[in-house]
Amino acid sequence: MRITLKSLKRSYGKLRAVNDVSLTIPSNTIFGIIGKSGAGKSTLVRLVSLLEKPDEGEVYYDEKRVDNLPKEDLMMRRRHIGMIFQNFNLFSSRNCAQNIAYPMEINGYKQEEIKSRVHELLKLVDLEGREEAHISTLSGGQKQRVAIARALSCRPDILFCDEATSALDPQTTSAILDLIKDIQKRMSLTVVMITHQMEVVRDTCKEVAVLNDGEVVEQGRVSDIFSHPQNQVTKDFLSRLVGHDERKTRLYQWSHKEGSYLLRFPGNVTDRPVISQISRKYGVDFNLRAGGVQVVDGEEIGTMIVDILSPDVTALPLVLDELRNQGVIVEEAEHHGN
Amino acid sequence: MGTNTLWILVGQATWQTVVMVFFSTLFSLVLGLPLGILLTVTSPENQGGIMPRPVLNNIIGRIVNVLRSFPFIILMILLFPLARLILGTSIGTAATIVPLSIAAAPFVARVIESALKEVDPGVVQAARAMGSTNAQIVFKVMIPEAMPSLVSGITLTIINLIGYSAMAGAIGGGGLGDLAIRYGYQRFRGDVMFVSVVVILVLVEVIQMIGNKIAAKMMEKR
Repeated sequence: MRITLKSLKRSYGKLRAVNDVSLTIPSNTIFGIIGKSGAGKSTLVRLVSLLEKPDEGEVYYDEKRVDNLPKEDLMMRRRHIGMIFQNFNLFSSRNCAQNIAYPMEINGYKQEEIKSRVHELLKLVDLEGREEAHISTLSGGQKQRVAIARALSCRPDILFCDEATSALDPQTTSAILDLIKDIQKRMSLTVVMITHQMEVVRDTCKEVAVLNDGEVVEQGRVSDIFSHPQNQVTKDFLSRLVGHDERKTRLYQWSHKEGSYLLRFPGNVTDRPVISQISRKYGVDFNLRAGGVQVVDGEEIGTMIVDILSPDVTALPLVLDELRNQGVIVEEAEHHGN
Repeated sequence: MGTNTLWILVGQATWQTVVMVFFSTLFSLVLGLPLGILLTVTSPENQGGIMPRPVLNNIIGRIVNVLRSFPFIILMILLFPLARLILGTSIGTAATIVPLSIAAAPFVARVIESALKEVDPGVVQAARAMGSTNAQIVFKVMIPEAMPSLVSGITLTIINLIGYSAMAGAIGGGGLGDLAIRYGYQRFRGDVMFVSVVVILVLVEVIQMIGNKIAAKMMEKR
C-alpha cells in the first residue's frame, strides 16, 4: 500500500501542528518519520492513520483518497490498519489471547478462527503458550510483542509504529525492531515508524522524512541523509548518535579528553588521504581522539573525533572549509556528550 | 413486647430494608448507567469523550447536579404522586423504591462517569484506531477496563441507599429506619433503637467488605 500525502495542514487554535506536509510513502517498505517532541509527529500520524481529519490537504492509500471517507467507511478502513504505541495501550481487563482477539471480534471472525489465529500470532511474536498471561505480568518488550500481534491480527496492509520503542531499553528496542523488520518482509507491509530516535531510523528504515515545526525539512534515502545531512535539525539528530549504540557503532575512544571536532567520511571520501593532505597544506596537526565506523542502512560511514592543533589561529576556519570541500561532514563536538 | 416479638420485628424490618435497597440499587443502575455513559461519551475530547456533544453534556450535567443537591426528604414527598402513578400507592416498602431509585440515579450517573473517565485514553484511542464503533468502545473496552472502579462505585451507591432507606422509613416506607423511629423514638424503646442501628451498621459493613473483595479479585486478574 503506497501512502501519498498532499499538502496536509492541521492547526489547534493558533498552533500549526502540521503545516503543509507532502510526502510519498512507498509500498512494502519501512518509512521513518523523525522529529523532536512537538515537531508535529503525533498529529501527522493521526492524520495519516485517519484518526483525525486534516484542515486542508489530502491523504491517499494507493490511488484512493481516504481522508474524506464517510464515517462508516472510515471505520472499516481502520480495521485494516495496524497500529502500535509507545505505551502499548493493551486492554488490562483482557489476557494476552483476548487482547489479540479483540480486533477479530469486532471484525466478526468466528471463534475457532480467532483461536487458531491467536496461536499463530503468539508464535510469530515469540510468545508461544502465553495465551492466558495477564498483561501486568509481562515485561515492556513482551507487552509490545502482544501489541504487535494484536495490530497484525486482521492482516493489515499498513502498520503505524508511534514511538513504539521509546519506552524500551536498548536491547529490547533492537529485538522489537528486528521483529518489525521480519514481519514487514513476511507480510509485505508498509510500515511507518514515527520516532525521535535516530538509531531506530538507522537500524530499520529505508527512507526517512525529518519533521520540524510541522514541516518536512528533509527527506530521502536513509543512507543519503546519513552521509549528507542538509538541515541543521537532521545534523542534530545525527550528532546524538555517535557512540551511543554499542552494537552497531564501532566507535573507539582511546583518549581521555574528548575532541573538539567530529568528522564523518561518507563512502566516496574514504579512499583519499584527506587528513594528511590538509595537514601538510595548512601546517596543522590532527590529534585523533576517537574513531570508528557506523553502519547506516548497509552503508558504512567512517567517523572520527579529533582536535585540530594550529599554530596560526586564522588557519583553522580554512582547514574546516577545506575538509567540507573534500566531502567530509564536520561538526563541532562540544555538545556531544559521549 | 417480648424478646421474641422484638426479633420478629427486627427480622421483618431488615428484610424490608434489604428489599428496598436491592430494588432501588437495581433501578438506580438502570437509570444511572445510561446517564453516566452519556455524560462520559458526550464530554469534551480531552476528557475522554468519544463523541463530544457539549450542549447535551451540559444539559444532562446540570439536571444531574440539581437532582443530586435536592434534599432527599423533599424529593421523596415530591415523588409521591409518581409512586402512586406507577404502583397505585405512595406508602409501603414498594412505594419507597420509586423515590429511592430516582434519588440515587444521578449519584450513580456521576459514579459511573468518573469510573469511565479513569480509563486510559491511550487504550480508547487504540480501540478507535482498530475501527471499533462507539458502542464497542463503551461496552467492550471502557466498561470492562473500568470494572474495578465501577464495583467500588456501586458498593458506595448501595451503602448510600441503606442510609436513604432508613430516612424513607420515617415517612412510612417500612424497614429498619421506620422501626427505629416508631418503636425506638416514639415509644421510648431504647433496645429497638439500638438493635436497628446495629443491624444497619452490620449491613453497611458486610456490603463494604463484599464490594472490596470483588474489586480486589478483579485487580488480581489484571
